[in-house]
Amino acid sequence: MRFRTRTFLLSFVPFALLLSASFWAIQDMVQATVRDGVRVSLRENHQSAAKLHARNELQNSRFLKIVGENAVLKAGLQLANANPSSADARLTVEDQVTELCAEMGFDLLLVSDAEGRAIAGVTRSNTVLVRMEPKQLPSTALSGLATVSGRVYQIASVPIDQSYENLGNLTIGELFDLSEFTTPALLLRDGRVIQSNLKGVSYDEIGAAMGHCNRLEECEVRLRGEIYVSVAMQSISLGNGYVLRTLQSLDAASGPVRFVLRRVFVVAAAAALLLALICGILSAKSIVGPISAIVEKLRDSAATGIPAEFHEAPASVSEIQELMESFNRAAGAVKDGRAQLESAYVQFIGSLAHALDARDQYTAGHSSRVSEISCAIARALCVEADVLEQIRTGALLHDIGKIGISDVVLQKPGKLTVEEFDIIKQHPTIGRHILEGVNGFEPYLDSVELHHENWDGTGYPHGLAGEAVPLAARIIHVADAYDAMTSDRPYRRGMTHGRAMSILAECSGTQFDPTLVDVFQKIGALPEGVDRAEDLLKLLTALEPEQARVAEVQQ
Amino acid sequence: MIAAALFASLVLHAGSVEGTIIIKRRLTKRNVTPTVAAYQRGPAVPLGIAEPDEDPLSFERSRVVIYVEGAGPAGAPATATLEQRDRRFAPEIVVIPAGSSVSFPNLDPIFHNVFSLSKTKSFDLGNYPKGQSRTVAFPEPGIVFVNCHLHPNMAAAIVVTPNKWSAQAGRDGRFVLKDLPPGKYEVVAWHKAAGYFRKKIVVGAGVTGDVDFLIPLGEKK
Repeated sequence: MRFRTRTFLLSFVPFALLLSASFWAIQDMVQATVRDGVRVSLRENHQSAAKLHARNELQNSRFLKIVGENAVLKAGLQLANANPSSADARLTVEDQVTELCAEMGFDLLLVSDAEGRAIAGVTRSNTVLVRMEPKQLPSTALSGLATVSGRVYQIASVPIDQSYENLGNLTIGELFDLSEFTTPALLLRDGRVIQSNLKGVSYDEIGAAMGHCNRLEECEVRLRGEIYVSVAMQSISLGNGYVLRTLQSLDAASGPVRFVLRRVFVVAAAAALLLALICGILSAKSIVGPISAIVEKLRDSAATGIPAEFHEAPASVSEIQELMESFNRAAGAVKDGRAQLESAYVQFIGSLAHALDARDQYTAGHSSRVSEISCAIARALCVEADVLEQIRTGALLHDIGKIGISDVVLQKPGKLTVEEFDIIKQHPTIGRHILEGVNGFEPYLDSVELHHENWDGTGYPHGLAGEAVPLAARIIHVADAYDAMTSDRPYRRGMTHGRAMSILAECSGTQFDPTLVDVFQKIGALPEGVDRAEDLLKLLTALEPEQARVAEVQQ
Repeated sequence: MIAAALFASLVLHAGSVEGTIIIKRRLTKRNVTPTVAAYQRGPAVPLGIAEPDEDPLSFERSRVVIYVEGAGPAGAPATATLEQRDRRFAPEIVVIPAGSSVSFPNLDPIFHNVFSLSKTKSFDLGNYPKGQSRTVAFPEPGIVFVNCHLHPNMAAAIVVTPNKWSAQAGRDGRFVLKDLPPGKYEVVAWHKAAGYFRKKIVVGAGVTGDVDFLIPLGEKK
């Protein structure tokens, strides 16, 4: 995961969690508030409905009182009371009731006689009045809400009196119809739903949802995924086990608030996302920039093998600054370690070369001199520092193979036989074999093995020609030859510098690389009267800091 | 008041009087107020008191009774019938000479209660069911309104005339009073809603007189 992603997530996730939590909490609070509001509004509705109901009741009772003073009905009731078993008398009253009902527009009209027996009744079905059969008439007095012939009526009654004599009772009923209610409502009787104005929801479904509600208690009902608060209307007494409940959808009530809330949340979430993105990018930039600079440098140093060092201060973050300093310290330690190791190498190689040279007093210092001269030539060629080091060490080791050559052959005074010379010729190969097994000596193998190859391919051990022989080996070849010529031998004195130089010049292009010989002659030009090899070495040692001048000369 | 024969006494030389009842607008007030039901629950249930199919003016004309005021040869006492059928009295007007009787048979399956509070003859026949009948004698001339105690919509009128000269106008308004000896008479036209209209006429021998009534008063012919 990239750091930018991580910072983004780290800054966004808390935002998101905080927002979600607060959204959830606020929504919960809104829901609770809305619920309370719904309850209060339902109760207020009930109270106003109850007031209206009470006023209607009063008006109805006055109106009924007038209807009860109907002389015709009184006459009919007197007739019926006087002829209790007469079917015609009953029919007469029924006829009157029908007419009264038609004129008054009631849905139900019942008349009972002085003994309380219902004697005639009419119900309205659509616009048609239907007279009730005697057996259909209710056996008891009705009040409140009552079911007659399968329909629910709201009942009101008035006694019909003639002076002090009660002739009977007139009962009127209005169909109780919830569809007139503007709010969702249910009518239950003994816990069973018998009417509802919820469209498309069966009574059974409502009944199942209402199952947990107690008779008159307020409760919450889940219908078709929507939550309703249901409050029983207690201020109006319906009697007979009827309960009227009104419902209000919580979801519908809290819907607009939730909508606004959701919109606010979406906006806040978008803002938080944006903010987190910006913060993430900025903070990532302040860290990722310096780190990638460091990584870039480390990658370079991995490629070059040179430990990276950081000198500039690209980071304002103190941790990164610290990281850089640690890197620098580590790099310094590595460098020191490597330098120590290298010097140990060099010392080791030096002592190896010394040990080799010490076998013969005549060749003492040969390796270090060859190294000096080779380095001088290499410097004159302006080679890279690491190549120079390679040449220096390679030159120190170039005769290491002579360890494997018998002292008899090596220190033999006088001319060598062909066989003895063949043995001597093996020393570059032996040297290579010796160094091959040592880790870290790979760069010098060629110098050791090929420093007797001639420019024209007549050398040994492989007879390589021209530039097939590495530069280091060619340089060492020249330097070795010069030192061999100028050194004393048991059987002769060493040549003078001039003599050696002229022999080198003679063999330039055949035995030696002409370019190298030219360079050597330029840097090895000694002043008048000085013609000893030691002087050359002194000169070369003095020349070393003036490498730049030599480079100029070369050009 | 009267347009063509305004108060001018007509001298007629005939044994009978013919005339026309002219009515130019409806007189009987029908129940035109819709019931409560019509407003609240759609049309009211028809109760059998629909408007008559006939021309309302000819209906009004046929409900005018014409008779001659004052003494005269008594008509032969008769027994008329006023039925109670379909919660209506049938006929609605009965014309009988004084001394006649009227029987009130109940042909409905329900009780009726026939009574009258008129000065001419007041009576209350009580409740009686289908098949039963009551009879009432009307010795005095005058107009008797009959109602049913149980059914306020039921109403009828019995015109008890003082002599034999009486008639009920036809649907065209025509009427004839026959066998009037020459002399001066006061002819009365009565309509239940419009009231009494009186005209003095002189009847000559063998001459058919003509008298027209314009009802109600004040109308232009």
